[in-house]
Amino acid sequence: MASVHESLYFNPMMTNGVVHANVFGIKDWVTPYKISVLALLYEMTASKITLPERRRLNKLILPLQQGPDLTLGQFLKTVEECCPQTAYAVKLRLHEMADGELKDMEYFFSTLPTPFTAFDTEAYKTSVVGLFMRHMLLAYNKLSFSQVYKLYKSLQHYYHSHYAKPMDGQVPALVADDSEMDLTSIEDTVGDRVDKEELDTPLHESELRSDNTPSRGPLSQKQAEYFLARQAYLLKNDENKALKPAALQEELNNMLKFNPDFAEAHYLNYLNSMRVQDIFLSAHSLLHYFDRLILSGNDGKSNGDEGYGRSLRYAALNLASLHCRFGHYQQADLALQEAIRIAQESNDHVCLQHCLSWLYTLEQMKGSDSTVLTEDSVKMAAHFCLPYLASLGIQSLVQQGATQGKTAHKLMDALKDTDILHWKHSLSELIEISLAQTTSIWRMYGKSTMSLQQAQLLLNMSSLEPVNFGVQQNNTEAFAVVLCHLAELHAEQGLYGAVSEIIQHLKEQFPPHTQHAKLWMLCDLKIQFERHMNEGKYHLAEPLVTAITALNQLEGLYRKAQVLKAVNRSTEAYHILQQLQARCEKTKCTEMVIRVMLSTAELHWESSGFSTALPVLLQALALARQHHLQSLASETILHLAFTQLMLGVPEQALNVLHEAVEPILAHRAVMDKGCAMLLAARCQMAVAGFKPNRQGQAADLRLAASALDTLNEAAAYFSQLNCKERLRDVHYLQAQLHRSLGQILESNKSAMLFRLLDQELQSPAPPVSMRL
Amino acid sequence: MLNVNIKIGVVPLHFRASELAFALAPLPKDELPPTSPLTEEDAQDLDALTLAKSYFDLKEYDRAAYFLKGCRSQKAYFLYMYSRYLSGEKKKDDETVDSLGPLEKGQVRNEALRELRVELSKKHTAGELDGFTLYLYGVVLRKLDLPKEAVDVFVEGIHALPLHWGAWLELSNLVTNIEMLKSLSLPDCWIKDFFMAHMYTELQMIKEALQKYQNLIEAGFSKSTYIISQIAVAYHNIRDIDQALALFNELREQDPYRIDNMDTFSNLLYVKSMKPELSYLAHNLVEIDKYRVETCCVIGNYYSLRSQHEKAALYFQRALKLNPRCLGAWTLMGHEYMEMKNTSAAIQAYRHAIEVNKRDYRAWYGLGQTYEILKMPFYCLYYYRKAHQLRPNDSRMLVALGESYEKLSQQAEAKKCYWRAYSVGDVEKMALLKLAKLHEQLNESDDAAQCYMLYIQDIFSCGEQLEHAEVSTALRYLGQYYFKNKLYDEASLCAQRCCDYNDAREEGKALLRQISQVRDQIETPSADLFAPLSNNNTPVRRVSPLNLISFTP
Repeated sequence: MASVHESLYFNPMMTNGVVHANVFGIKDWVTPYKISVLALLYEMTASKITLPERRRLNKLILPLQQGPDLTLGQFLKTVEECCPQTAYAVKLRLHEMADGELKDMEYFFSTLPTPFTAFDTEAYKTSVVGLFMRHMLLAYNKLSFSQVYKLYKSLQHYYHSHYAKPMDGQVPALVADDSEMDLTSIEDTVGDRVDKEELDTPLHESELRSDNTPSRGPLSQKQAEYFLARQAYLLKNDENKALKPAALQEELNNMLKFNPDFAEAHYLNYLNSMRVQDIFLSAHSLLHYFDRLILSGNDGKSNGDEGYGRSLRYAALNLASLHCRFGHYQQADLALQEAIRIAQESNDHVCLQHCLSWLYTLEQMKGSDSTVLTEDSVKMAAHFCLPYLASLGIQSLVQQGATQGKTAHKLMDALKDTDILHWKHSLSELIEISLAQTTSIWRMYGKSTMSLQQAQLLLNMSSLEPVNFGVQQNNTEAFAVVLCHLAELHAEQGLYGAVSEIIQHLKEQFPPHTQHAKLWMLCDLKIQFERHMNEGKYHLAEPLVTAITALNQLEGLYRKAQVLKAVNRSTEAYHILQQLQARCEKTKCTEMVIRVMLSTAELHWESSGFSTALPVLLQALALARQHHLQSLASETILHLAFTQLMLGVPEQALNVLHEAVEPILAHRAVMDKGCAMLLAARCQMAVAGFKPNRQGQAADLRLAASALDTLNEAAAYFSQLNCKERLRDVHYLQAQLHRSLGQILESNKSAMLFRLLDQELQSPAPPVSMRL
Repeated sequence: MLNVNIKIGVVPLHFRASELAFALAPLPKDELPPTSPLTEEDAQDLDALTLAKSYFDLKEYDRAAYFLKGCRSQKAYFLYMYSRYLSGEKKKDDETVDSLGPLEKGQVRNEALRELRVELSKKHTAGELDGFTLYLYGVVLRKLDLPKEAVDVFVEGIHALPLHWGAWLELSNLVTNIEMLKSLSLPDCWIKDFFMAHMYTELQMIKEALQKYQNLIEAGFSKSTYIISQIAVAYHNIRDIDQALALFNELREQDPYRIDNMDTFSNLLYVKSMKPELSYLAHNLVEIDKYRVETCCVIGNYYSLRSQHEKAALYFQRALKLNPRCLGAWTLMGHEYMEMKNTSAAIQAYRHAIEVNKRDYRAWYGLGQTYEILKMPFYCLYYYRKAHQLRPNDSRMLVALGESYEKLSQQAEAKKCYWRAYSVGDVEKMALLKLAKLHEQLNESDDAAQCYMLYIQDIFSCGEQLEHAEVSTALRYLGQYYFKNKLYDEASLCAQRCCDYNDAREEGKALLRQISQVRDQIETPSADLFAPLSNNNTPVRRVSPLNLISFTP
């Protein structure tokens, strides 16, 4: 029973079990739109057109020939913009055919100038136009009897639907008038025509817009290809402009329903599923794509078996990348090994090279050292002239080198060399990555100005892609990274308004479900955390720790220790820090190690173990210097100076501090600047022989005055961040200093400020001497 | 009611009813149900109906529809609409062949569907549709990709006319899982049992299906060839080959000119490698009708069994030309291409099979095998997993999965697969052997010995001699194992049994000699306690990656 009703999905083009999508080897089929283009070409050769108009028309030919099928309205409109006279002639010709009989169409095809006879016209057989005409004529001549009739029918439909549409909105009387016009007079006045055209156009535009909505039935081959290319490009570069995942899925399903052999649609499906992190569907589509591709690869005449094996290799490689993307490293490893094995068997060096670069990426993701692999990869890539892979490898090497503390100038040199390569081959993607990488490296080294400059450079660079579908701002990982850095840099300077704007932009550009969203999420959380910590709102910072841990475990642990330390749960904090240090040393996470050491030293201070803190700090300093981490180094020096102050050698502390103050003021966050100033003031006070609670004994008035200045500066920094606890300390010291200088009025003022803040904060002030 | 089916002449439908009627004991004359009285309208339209029916039978659908236009009786109306529908379908099929360009081929639609839907839905809301027209309405809806509405209409149609098997069949195509089946409200009629049994078979719930069919047989349909064939197919699905073969043979006796389901029969014969029987069946079917899908499949199987794979593929292609949605043929063609080492064509064929039915585990399995041949064990895992999902209790997929894991050196997973394959009932009796070898490789001698023991038990308990049985390997290993553990009695037993097999005879003898030597030494303590063991490592036999012989379509 079923067999009667089932649609006979049978492919007549099947031979030997393989469907050849293209039996005659012709991609072009005659469609009504193509007939219109032919009519245009015919008119152009036949009639006299003024030179500027002709020039404009000539420019139009190629996009019209190669673009997707347009509706008649669109087509006529574009032609009209160039030359109204020709547009009218074309319309007339189409009208003749559509409202006439089948023989009119046949006559049209027979009158077309055959490129073999026309030697001196544009339609010469090897010209673009001539080739197109020959294609069309050949395709037309191959049509069977019923196909010709069908073509004619669809031409009529094509023509009439152009005029039928306005009827919906307009008075029926006009329709009657319209048909009458068509019937009676072919030699209609141009004026009338134009009038009608004017009536039509706005409606057509609205129709066009509705055309863009999904699920509007089958697309032609060219249209489908165009659609896929455009969506794939948008997915890569600016996801927000692409269709929403659900809508795109629907469109693709629709496309696949009408043409299940359209392999590329499966690939786009795979990309789309990756967007929503759907491992199941994306794996399914990927494999389906390659199953299809293997068939079409077999079709290729140039390298029969070669093409087929090739897609197999890349299929395995793509599977590896898929698993890598979803974090299934073991699976990815297996798939990669498979790809490598087949590539080796068939001596495909290019593929092997790709595999190799994936291999080191995978190693890196797993957290093991892959420098040797990467170096090999770069060498081989250079040998096989694969600039993309080579410089990708170099970039990865630079990244590894930076974390391992390689000399800075060598890294920068390497980056510069690759940049030359990029610009030579215009590898825009890599240029972006390179800029983002420089930003990160500068930031890591603690040169915020350089980092800021590089970030701005990338953000202000115009797109280098040859075809960009009106995309200004790319949303690649590089942009996300750079924007995050920018946000953090602004946060450091206390410009929270700017930060929230940047984060807002990131949110829009990289919606939470997308691949790079985690970057800004973490960045946002970190900024919020810092802000709460600075303002002393520990209860607000605490819930953020969980969120941070979800995104980055190490960072989360560190933050947890910080919160614990702030609320005086030192033992727990110490345990966490120890644990963290062990883990970081294992993974060679130097920055974190130094930060952990600093925190540990701070814990030592709390138990007055200043001398025990010293070795830790010295170790941290050595590490920071070794890795050129200037910002961390200066922070360590700050800690050192404080320890020395506490150990009773303020002169030494002041000396050490002088070394660090300059870079801190130049590059560090406002908070650090404030701390440095506060510390400097305290050192100065100590050097000046000032002891708290003893009046009028300042030995060195000059030093005391400069200490006051420094304190004022510190107060300015702290008030910028609304860091009340520190401000309280500052006021306390100010009051004492003033008093010792005998400035009672100022002293009272500072004391009042201190009193106000102390009441507001309510928490008992920690001994002022016990922290930085 | 059965008569109505026959009279209205929905061609492919009525034979089922008459078949069942024939299967029942003939009724005495006076108990024959009264033929439904003709209404006034029926009488009026009788001539037009007869004329149209003749045209309809001649497949001149437009002509039939033309002459039925004015008729008002229900029967005529149904035939009118049905002709229009079929005419649309026929035109669509014709169009497909000469379309304008490759992309347009997908766009060819049955133009009549929309009009039919509009008309029928008007009548439907007015409540003027009878069982047959409801059925047609359902079909139209299904064709327009409106499965939900279609299900509702079919259920309604079934309530209006429970004895119309076509509606049940269409409904069965739309039911995707058991929950959906349970949620349908169906009339309580004897035909519901047929439907449920059919559904259970479709949903791979073979046990329940067999139970239903058994009940039907007991209820008086014992002679029905339909039920026998369905039971046979069910047995085929659970791979109870002997039962299925017996039933098919019975079916052939009762209904010698039957072509339906004969492709399944030929599959069974193929599995059993019964060449003469398959040859007889093929020739017989060719005599009956050589242009049937089933016939072509049988011939394909026949050639395949004779290793003439090109010809086999040719016949499967012919089957597909006759009915492109014939699932089995796509898969079988894939197998043939695999045999011919034309992997890309095989992949294409399997993909087509999956397109027709996503739940075709054989096609998924075939794809897995293809990639395995292409030496991509990781890649094929996905396909085997798919197949395994669809048939969780089929040992072949599990063994294939295990083999792939073994190739990827994922021994832990491989072990799990093999053990599970053994647990669900291993058809090919290979899982234990492979498991044992895996243990052997990993130097887990206790586990290996355990597995070999189980393997030997398994082989001997199933009674029949299997071609690829490697009892000798197992015995050899066990002998050595017992010897090493100084269990000389067991060792000598194994060694003696080893001598029954040609390939292990020498080693068995050597082991026996060693055992007696050691025993002598124990008795005479002066001699060395540990004689050096002969270091005959058991060679690990390579199992061919593609075991197509044992793989049955």
